[in-house]
This record gives sequence, structure tokens and C-alpha cells, in this order.
Amino acid sequence: MPIGDMLLRSVDDSQINTVFPNTFEEYKKWDKEKDKLPPEEVYKALFQELAYGDKIQVGRALTRMNYSKSGWKSLIKKTSREIKKVVKKEEFPDSYKEFLIETNEKWADPTYWYAMGQMLNNQTSIYYWNAIDRTFDQELNVVQQDEDRRVYVQTWLKTLKVSIYVTVFCLILGFPVAHLLANLPLRYSNLLMIFVLLPFWTSLLVRTTAWIVMLQQKGVINGVLVWLGILSDDGRIAMVYNETGTLIAMTQILLPFMILPLYSVMRVIPKSHMRAAQNLGAKPAMAFWRVYLPQTIPGMSAGGLLVFVLAIGYFITPELVGGKDGKLIGSWIAYHLKTTLNWGLTAALGAILLGFMLIFYWLYNKIVGIDNIKLG
Amino acid sequence: MSKLLKVFLFASIIIAPFTASAVTVASWGGAYTESQQKAYADTYSDPGSIVFENYNGGLGEVRAQVESGSVTWDLVDVLPGDAITGCDEGLFEDISSEIASMGVPGPDGESIAEDMENNGLEYHSGWDCCVPQIFWTYVVFYDPDAFPGEKPDSMADFFDVEKFPGKRGIHTWATGIVEKAMVADGVDPQAVPTVLEKQTGALDRAFDKLDTIKDHVVFWSSGSKPLELVKSGEVVMAIAYNGRVGAANLAEGENFEYIWEGQVLDQEYLCLTAGAPNRDAALDFMMHASSPTSQALQAKYITYGPMRASGIPIIVEGEPWGPGGVDIMPHMPNTPERLKVSIVSDPQWWSDNGAEINERYAAWMGN
Repeated sequence: MPIGDMLLRSVDDSQINTVFPNTFEEYKKWDKEKDKLPPEEVYKALFQELAYGDKIQVGRALTRMNYSKSGWKSLIKKTSREIKKVVKKEEFPDSYKEFLIETNEKWADPTYWYAMGQMLNNQTSIYYWNAIDRTFDQELNVVQQDEDRRVYVQTWLKTLKVSIYVTVFCLILGFPVAHLLANLPLRYSNLLMIFVLLPFWTSLLVRTTAWIVMLQQKGVINGVLVWLGILSDDGRIAMVYNETGTLIAMTQILLPFMILPLYSVMRVIPKSHMRAAQNLGAKPAMAFWRVYLPQTIPGMSAGGLLVFVLAIGYFITPELVGGKDGKLIGSWIAYHLKTTLNWGLTAALGAILLGFMLIFYWLYNKIVGIDNIKLG
Repeated sequence: MSKLLKVFLFASIIIAPFTASAVTVASWGGAYTESQQKAYADTYSDPGSIVFENYNGGLGEVRAQVESGSVTWDLVDVLPGDAITGCDEGLFEDISSEIASMGVPGPDGESIAEDMENNGLEYHSGWDCCVPQIFWTYVVFYDPDAFPGEKPDSMADFFDVEKFPGKRGIHTWATGIVEKAMVADGVDPQAVPTVLEKQTGALDRAFDKLDTIKDHVVFWSSGSKPLELVKSGEVVMAIAYNGRVGAANLAEGENFEYIWEGQVLDQEYLCLTAGAPNRDAALDFMMHASSPTSQALQAKYITYGPMRASGIPIIVEGEPWGPGGVDIMPHMPNTPERLKVSIVSDPQWWSDNGAEINERYAAWMGN
């Protein structure tokens, strides 16, 4: 249900069509080739729908209109005040077009009217295009967004890159730990397990802040390196408030999600398999590669998928430690959900994220097989 | 059976007053909500009836509550842009007539609106649904020990990395920074909102100015961070919320200096959610919280300035107003002489252009 609702919202544009039906109807008759501005009927319909429309419904429509062009909102609000005065005095103008342009010269700016063209239907694909830095031009052709506003494509790429890196690092770091845990005697492995789980139970913010203390320019690691004479005092490495910081912190936070499934799979691999392989003449490396590793694949894939899925939607930790590189796609989803209230774009971004997940799931199923996944 | 019934009845009598009339106020948490608790709730006729709940700003949750018809927040503490949008969209109830009739007047009988206008504010539609709280500000601060010689004292200095070498801490969204860049570029602070609104290319000018410090910047995204950055020496100056700097100075014995020139004042409102379960009680509390005395009292607990002009004289006459017998006016952002070199952020312009500018700002950060 919530997913269906999200998908619907990402294409829905019906609210504004209930607020300005006549304006839009007249708008469709405007011949943009012939006339620079829409005909008198459009201005008149808009005047009337603003004058007699429900205040709250108009308000909601304005939020929507502002997504298609910044400035719509205050233009209409200022105009509405003038319209209310006219209605009160019942001194209606002869030409609504002239009246509106007189109250605000922006009504003579065709770019506002072109932007209205995006909203004429009950469904729209604009949010999906916005989510990949595209928009509509006046003929409703898909074009690139203004150059200095193109942020989403690079954010998508960055999010994918970070998620893949984090997954790989988690695998590299998690595998030996899980192996150790699975093969030590129980009393040692239990103790070690607590070390794995302890940070897992600690607050996310505490761990993130701890990393900042460790990594910052005047932090623990740089301090020790300078003290040892490995770094000069002005050669301190920038390890936090950049992508390095994001990768380090996210890897540490997501590591248990890799270790735990790996551990539970490794624990049930009989030790006799390795011994048997070596007995039959395989060198230890060969035995590991041909006998042990294949049996851990279900754990690796479960852990990998888990870490990847969590990483791709992460945003609080990256924002805190990532500095200028810390805005992943999750940050934008939260921003549009809470601040701009552009739920159409929010839903489109979410739907694309879901699409990515399904693609990876499908790829995974093709390569490894979904029956092969195992959490223990 | 009848015994059980009695127990039920008794229990409901006991519980009813707590559940039925508790006004839930969604606010930002931390020291800010604490100051609201002390200044507004504790001084209210029925302190137990006010419950604060934390949220992270924005109208997302409010819209979800109103659209789904299950409203749990009676009052929401919001930024002016959200007050405007929330009121326009009907997420907050239009109570303009109640505010006019029930609002606590100033000492000379001025209404809440007049009192705000005396503080240099202009009417916006948020005023129909919300009552004023405090002025907070994006201010630049530094540790004087970091500058043994000449000390920076203007926005031009903040943007001049040759005169004052070292990194700067700035936030990861555009509000406040764009205005400061304009001041550094030579625009009179009070003219900045008009220039941004009317002059084509003004925004390009701001971004060109930002380019000049781009390689000398550490970005922060949570309010405690700039303090840590300056304390640890990671940066030499940073933009911060003035309340945080004030708290560090007053409670933690720090000695940070402010650069008031080019500070960007933003407003804070308390709004009534449409369909609030305890509407009338909430309304009554709103009037208490927006009285000049309550507003002045809040400054005792956090260095944010009252949005009603008549709150200021109460503080001035009451000095030392701060904790432990300290004068609080040196830390207040909206004294008359500081207002002359300040920018009052234009919420209407930001709610029109915020999304676009923040995308541009993010693209600028990422490249």
C-alpha cells in the first residue's frame, strides 16, 4: 500500500487541475507561435478562479506551481490581494490581461506561462525528469536542467559509488573476523562477538562523533602521526568532512550486518571439509579457494545485499562526517519530504531508488540465485 | 462487576485530565526547548498541561498528520517560511481574529503585529496562523586567540583569506550564506533582500563571491559542529547559530567574539495545527507564550532575541538578566545598533526560491 501510494504520488498532478480547470482549458487554445502571451480568456479565467477559489486549495496549488518555476507563489499571492480588492469594490476591469500586467509586470513574462504548460494534465512525468536533472522546455520537450542546478545525476552516481565501496570494504574486513569468530573455541568467540555487537548497540550519533574525534585534522590519528614524526605539522591528512570520512564511518557502522550472516554460515561449515581437501592433495590456499569459499557464498551474498541496501539509503552519518561530499540521495529525499514539501519529486526519487534495488536484486538472482541467500 | 466499573470510573476520572487537555508542542529540542519549557510552560497557569515533543523542522510530519486526519501535535514551532506555506496550505489554522482579540498587548497597547513591525518585520501570511517567538541569527564567530594581531570584524574579512588565513566553517545549505556573500561583495546589509529579489544576476554575484573561499571551507550540518570546529582549531572562523555561541560564552566560559555585521536574522513562530485536538487550550497557551514578558524571560535561558519589540526594554531594565548575574544584552542579536548592520532574512523570497538555490548550492559544493 505505502509503495503503491508513493508510486501514484510520483506521477499525480490532479490537485492543481481541480483548482484551475477553466484556466487550463483556455490555455490549451493558446497558439504560442502566433501570440507571445496567452489570450485575454486565459487571464480572465485565472482572475476568476483566484477570486472565487477555495483559499486552502489555491494555497496547495501554489506550492505545486512553484516547483515548475520559482516565483509563481509570491506572484500569485501578491496578485490575489489586488484581485480581492477589485472583487470587494465590484469594479471589474475591461481587460483582465491589462489589469494583471498592471498589477505585476511578471504577467507579461512568457516564461511563467510556459511553465504552466507542464501542469495541464492529471498525470505528469516531470518529477522523474527532475530527479535526473532534466526538465521541460516551452514545447514540453525534455531538456537538460540549467547547468548550475544539475545535482541529482552526480548524487545518484556518488550514492552508488559509496554504497558499492562500503559493501566491498565490509566484505574485506568482515570476512576474516567472521572466520575467526566461527573457528575459535566458544568462550573466546563469545567474547569477540561482544566486541562486534557492542558498537552495534551504541547510538549511531555517538559512533559518528567518535569517528570525527579520531579523524579530524587535530584529532587522535593525525596527532599520533605528527608526534611520531611521520607527518609534519602542516601536512596533516584530511580524513573527515570528505568522502574518506564517509567511507570509514559507514563501513564501521555497517560492518556487523556483514559479519553476522557470514558468521552464521561459516559456523556450520564442517571443519572436516578443509582437512579432507588437504588430505586429497590440495594446498591450503587451493583448499580454501575451491572448498571453503564456495560454501560461504550464501553468507557473503546475504551480508552484501544487506549492507548495500542499507548503505544506499543512508544519510545521517554521511551528512555529519562527509562535509561537502556528504549529501547522498537520502539527504535529498529527506529535504524534499520535509522542507520543500515537493512530495512528487520525493516519491520519484524514492521510486528510482526502489528501481535500483530491484535491478541489483535481479542481477543477484541471475548471478548467484536467490535461493542461495542464507542468514544462518 | 460493579466494583470493576467503579475502578474504571475512578481511573478515568484520574486519567482524563492528563490525557484530554495536555497540549502537545512540537519543537526543536535541546537547549532551545528547555528555554521554552522554563519561560513559557513553567510560568503558565497550568504548567502540567504542556508537553514538548522533539522534531527536526520542516512541514513533512505536519502535512502527513493533517492529510491523514490524525493530528497529534497541537502546536508546532516553525521557521517563517514554513509558517507561510503551512498557513497558505491550510496545515495551520487561520486564527488572525483570535490573535487580534486575545493577544497580550504591549505596554503602550500595541498589538502583536504592531509590536513585530516595530522590530523591523513586515507582514506575511504566516502571521495569520502563528504567534511570534524569537529572533535567531546566523552569525560569524571566532576565538580571539587565533588572531594575535588584527582581528576580523566584517563580512569582507570573513571572505578575505589572504588578510586572515585559515579555514572557515560554513553550513551545507544556502540560507544565510547567500546574504553574507552579498554583504562581503559590498552590498549594504539592509539592502540585501531587495537586491536579491529585484536585481538580475544578484545570485551569480553571491556565488562568485563564494567561489573565492571555496578551497578554504569546512562544511558543517549540525548546530554543535561549528563550535567544535573552532575549539579544535580545525577552522579559524565559522558561521553558527548565535544561541550556541552565547551558551558557550555564558555557560562554558569560552571567550568567543561575534562579527555582528552581516548577521542574518531569522524568525521563529508557534503555529496552531489545523484540527488540533486541544485547540482552545493550545490557543490560550499561544497567547501566554507570545506575551512580551514571556519573550523577554526566554532570553534568560538562551541568547535569542524577542521578536516583539516591547520585550527588549524588559531585558534592558532587568539587567543583569543572564544566568549567574551576567548582562545578556551583549549577546542579543537584535539591539537597535546591531539591526542596522544586519539582514532580516526574507522568508517569502526563500520560500519562493529556496529549492532552486539549495540545488545550486549543492551543485556548487559538489564541484
